[in-house]
Amino acid sequence: MVSYREVKPGGKPFKRAYVAVMLWFVGRAVQAAARVDRAVAREFDDLPDSFTFCLGVEPRGPFMVVGKSKKGRVKYLGWNPAGKEIDLAMRIQNMEAAILLFTFQENNALSACRNRITVDGDIPAACAMMRVIDIVEVYLLPKMIARLAIKRYPSWSFRRKYLGRIRIYFRSVLGY
Amino acid sequence: MHLPGYYEFSARVKVVSGHRVLEKIPAELRKLGASKPFIVTDNGVSSAGLLEIVTDSIRSGVTIGAVADDIPQDSDVCIINDLAGIFRERGCDSLIALGGGSVIDTAKGINIVISENTYDLMKFSGAGRLKRALKPLIAVPTTAGTGSETTMVAVIADHERQRKMLFVSYFLVPDVAVLDSRMTLSLPPAMTAATAMDALCHAVEAYTCLAKNPMSDICALEAIELISRNLLHVVNNPGDKDGRLALANAATLAGMAFSNSMVGMVHALGHSVGSVCGVPHGMAMSVLLPYGLEYNMHKVSHFIAELLFPLAGSEIFARTPKHLRAERVVTIIRKLNQDLHDATGGRHARFFGEVLDRHGAHMVEKEKIPDIARTALGDGALFYNPEDLDYDDMLMVMEGAWEGVPLKRNLIKSG
Repeated sequence: MVSYREVKPGGKPFKRAYVAVMLWFVGRAVQAAARVDRAVAREFDDLPDSFTFCLGVEPRGPFMVVGKSKKGRVKYLGWNPAGKEIDLAMRIQNMEAAILLFTFQENNALSACRNRITVDGDIPAACAMMRVIDIVEVYLLPKMIARLAIKRYPSWSFRRKYLGRIRIYFRSVLGY
Repeated sequence: MHLPGYYEFSARVKVVSGHRVLEKIPAELRKLGASKPFIVTDNGVSSAGLLEIVTDSIRSGVTIGAVADDIPQDSDVCIINDLAGIFRERGCDSLIALGGGSVIDTAKGINIVISENTYDLMKFSGAGRLKRALKPLIAVPTTAGTGSETTMVAVIADHERQRKMLFVSYFLVPDVAVLDSRMTLSLPPAMTAATAMDALCHAVEAYTCLAKNPMSDICALEAIELISRNLLHVVNNPGDKDGRLALANAATLAGMAFSNSMVGMVHALGHSVGSVCGVPHGMAMSVLLPYGLEYNMHKVSHFIAELLFPLAGSEIFARTPKHLRAERVVTIIRKLNQDLHDATGGRHARFFGEVLDRHGAHMVEKEKIPDIARTALGDGALFYNPEDLDYDDMLMVMEGAWEGVPLKRNLIKSG
């Protein structure tokens, strides 16, 4: 008898793990940057209170969720969007697209242009979150790599760039 | 030719173009299995006599179920539900949208309500919410500019929530676009100039922004050539049928290009100038186009340089040294704006400082520039722009466009 093989979804555990770690760290860094960097704080100030944003990979994750409390405090809310009221979801369409993005082979804007990221929610809020992620990448990455991830590398003061970087790394690791 | 590592392209609309092609509509409806269309149009189109031309051209072939000739500029959910009710009541089976972008978008909205058998249009807003084909829709554009007859997008107002909702789906692309020169013959010269410059903007931004691809490039280049060869002549000779048809084709080609490659900062700022100050879209596009090219020049001068060929022809292209071609493109577009300004008796604006309302007051007040810049920061078109723009960059571009002076290149940030 001929056997018809069933192919179950899943696979690529190392890529999933890599993207999960990146999303975890970026999520905590967004929380830290909202407390350290004025431009990031301003972007969140313009968003409504209780605003919740999620970024992740379709169809099974990983995800990261960042939200703003009623008091306006930005917090990393974990990896699972289930059960949370998400105002803005940015979904990377598959794991390979996520790898291109998180290994900086393709920058954020180009990834959106190539329909690798779908946006479900308010477009102005999505623009604001893209700017936040760009700023966070400048803090987290050395210039040579950050230039691959964003359209234009900003010219910041020494204080903003290096002291901010130390503070954001410190806060991201400790999670406050 | 630029071949990106990845791209998507879809242009599934059937285009029927010619001097007397409205008569083809009944046959097209039959092919789509329809026989009783609902015609949707606006007052302006109706009072210009275009509705009568259409009904006279098709009445021998089909029963027209109903005609709605009072579509407002920004129709909303309530109007769409009312019109869908008429569609059902009269037993119509298809739609003919006769007009510009807002009429075509309204027809798309009615089509969603009818085909999905719903009263809640808003639950289909966003991308990819429609899962099946809609009723047949034939678009007959009466301006040569928006390209809505080829796009998969509809923008519909939700006045209750004071928002404009975006609907994106391949099912929203009209089945047929009918380009008949009679539909644009009566368009006044200033309007002809502004709408064609809107189409030029679609083509130029599609060719120079981040989602460009070989398929959309071909549409964009052809559109640019048709506009540069015909626009000034049509503005000076409004009765030129061939020129009118060329511009209608250019707008459709540009629509195909930008609905796949999208647009950039010129549209982001143009949308804001429209929403903050009420400046007509085409006029804002004409003013901003050279500034958008100047701003992005350091990133995409090689793509801008390639536009010299369709804009100015082979001789000028060959005579211009390679490193000067991109700058020459900007000069030619500024000269085209100047020529259109002269040909329309000053009605075609070259910079925002000379855009006046009917009382002679500035439509774009200088104090509104910060509001315009802030609004533009939330426009999705910025994703597609080759260079990043922050608030200060927006201010710089808008101030230049208000004064009518070229951008100071040393102030444009790069990194």
